[in-house]
Amino acid sequence: MHRILLIARRDYLATIRTRAFIFGLVVAPILFGGGFLGVALMQSRPDIKERRIAIIDRTGVVAAAVVQVAEEKNAKGLFDKASHRQVRPRYVFETPAPAADAQLQRLELSERVRHEKLYAFIEINPTSLQPSWRPARDTDTNADPASSAVAIYSNASGLDDVRRWLDDSINDGIRRVRLAQAGVDRGRFDALLSGVKVGSFGLVSRDPKTGEIHEAAKKNEVAEFAVPFGLMLLLGMIVMVGSSPMLSAVTEDKANRLVEMLLGLATPVELMAGKVLGALGVSLTSSAFYIIGGTLALEGMGMSGLVPFGVFPWFYIYLIADVTFLCSLAAALGAGCNSPQEAQQLAIVLLSPVMIPYFLFTFVMQQPNGAISTALSLFPPFTPMLMLLRQTMPSGVPLWQPWVGLIGVLAFTAVMVWAAARIFRVAILMQGKTPKAADLVRWAVRG
Amino acid sequence: MDAVQISNVTKTFGEVTAVDDLTLTIPEGAVYGFIGPNGSGKTTTMRMTAGIFYPDRGDVRVFGKQLLGARSELIGYLPEERGLYRKMAVLPMLEFYGELRSGRKVTAEVEYWLAKLDLKKWASQKVQTLSKGMSQKVQFIAVVVPAPKLLILDEPFTGLDPVSTDALREAILELRRRGATVILSTHDMQVAEDMCDYICMIFRGKKVLDGTLSSIQDRYGNDTIRVAADGGTACLEDLPDVEKVRDLGQVQELRMARGCDPQRVLRALVERTRITSFSITKPSLHDIFVRIAGPEAGQAEAQHA
Repeated sequence: MHRILLIARRDYLATIRTRAFIFGLVVAPILFGGGFLGVALMQSRPDIKERRIAIIDRTGVVAAAVVQVAEEKNAKGLFDKASHRQVRPRYVFETPAPAADAQLQRLELSERVRHEKLYAFIEINPTSLQPSWRPARDTDTNADPASSAVAIYSNASGLDDVRRWLDDSINDGIRRVRLAQAGVDRGRFDALLSGVKVGSFGLVSRDPKTGEIHEAAKKNEVAEFAVPFGLMLLLGMIVMVGSSPMLSAVTEDKANRLVEMLLGLATPVELMAGKVLGALGVSLTSSAFYIIGGTLALEGMGMSGLVPFGVFPWFYIYLIADVTFLCSLAAALGAGCNSPQEAQQLAIVLLSPVMIPYFLFTFVMQQPNGAISTALSLFPPFTPMLMLLRQTMPSGVPLWQPWVGLIGVLAFTAVMVWAAARIFRVAILMQGKTPKAADLVRWAVRG
Repeated sequence: MDAVQISNVTKTFGEVTAVDDLTLTIPEGAVYGFIGPNGSGKTTTMRMTAGIFYPDRGDVRVFGKQLLGARSELIGYLPEERGLYRKMAVLPMLEFYGELRSGRKVTAEVEYWLAKLDLKKWASQKVQTLSKGMSQKVQFIAVVVPAPKLLILDEPFTGLDPVSTDALREAILELRRRGATVILSTHDMQVAEDMCDYICMIFRGKKVLDGTLSSIQDRYGNDTIRVAADGGTACLEDLPDVEKVRDLGQVQELRMARGCDPQRVLRALVERTRITSFSITKPSLHDIFVRIAGPEAGQAEAQHA
């Protein structure tokens, strides 16, 4: 045990004393959170260049209504009410008369779009005025644009919000024309169909000591998303930052022939255990920095109620299990590699237990207690990330699930560490030959 | 007590048998040298002795005990390659290695050896700033602190200049005087002849020689003539009863056929040229090595087959 602790201490100090560690401590959250921050920043700096749209109106009546709706929307949403800064592009319309040769007209307008004289053009056909007794579906759009009720022609990406903006304006315009043709008063119709604001609240609870009933609190939807997601993101980030260097570190030690010297002083299992323990120390140091820093920051902002203190013990249990498992796996894989380049190719395999939950989090957050979410969070490699996510959500999880998940994680970690130690012991002194997956399995089984 | 007992040990790597049914004994307090061509099984044997590899078959005992799955502070193992933390300073790194072996602080011993090997002023420098020779000496200190009873040194003199070689040799002999048993491998036959009490040659995983230098040489008898003759090797061709001529520069070595009379060779030489030196000796270790592992041995083996 003394040797394990010595190796752990050396590796721990060697890591935390580097400028790279301190730099990473600051940069990692920026990189991980940077994507979200970047999106927010970009959204605050929208493209407000004027967008010119041509409308070919084959009904003779809809274009004017669409332009009127669009002008109203321009007037309402163009500027931020607080800052008076323009936050949306202005839509400007032209309404060329439908030409006899419709195809040629579409071609000419398409050329204008290609030359950026126009942003898009819309073709409104008479069928658009026929009322339908069922809601429009995506499948209603004809593959042939010329035979669609309304067709928007553009070369914009499918993800921009122009399409949605125009959809709303066109449909509003068409509705106005239909209402006018049916002799219905639009103001009364709008009032009848106006929506109401739905408030979202938590659950009413009774104080177990006093018996007093506490009113449900209004839901903070941003916080309800941000806290579980943020905690999962933090766990994943610390696990990645803590475990991924192990792969290249072991390979470098092997390539530099350091391990042979060390193996004269400690057994392979002691060496691997020391390295894993050192990495665990580094991860716990990083997590303490972020958890304490984040808690203080939230308290400073008067948002200490958002800190999920009750989940922190689980956070640390999952962190220890995940780092131990991944570092052991990294040590075993690194021991099998002959160069850091080879090791780099395996990084994706190593990080998949962290990366895959990142891809699954939206699904799990939408249905936190669905069968698939439950099953995924009980799958040991994903348990730390996904169970933590579910535990931190307001819906919570049944009491038995974290414990069952924990038993699975601990058993899985124990098996992986055992197998990794057996692989490490054989692979660490091999030179020149890269083992195949079958070799790794054989070494894990036979030792 | 014997320091090391290796009994019928075999170690294979895939299809390759690195060590094949090897048996040897290393007496306590001896300097025991392994010689043999590259890939013959010396390093594998030393690694098994250090407990880094386990034999597939057979038994390795160090001071009477098996070391399966454990490390002993009694053993100091110096691998052939430099295995140092390049970014650590010399002193803390040596303290780390020493404590790893002994489980206690070893600062005093480390400082003693740094002074002895003239490395004291480098104690606070990072390992990556050291020359190859200095790194080798630092690694040697990492192995000998704190005074293991068995030193296993895999080619300790490789890449060292004569001054560093002398310093390291002196350090090894000091440890031996203090009672340590030393196992070393070398490709330098002179080192083996000068330093080793016992020499073991491993060839293709098998032991082919084992004993003191004189006992090994006795097996070959006085079959070698060392001669310095005017005209060099040109005058030595086709001498009667001479199997092989080896040109050493100023001197030539002649290997006599079994039962050959050296006087007959001398007479033939005198008839050809002026002789300035003539002596009958036992073969050198170098010559014995080449006889066993050189191309000549391969040809003889092929003819025999």
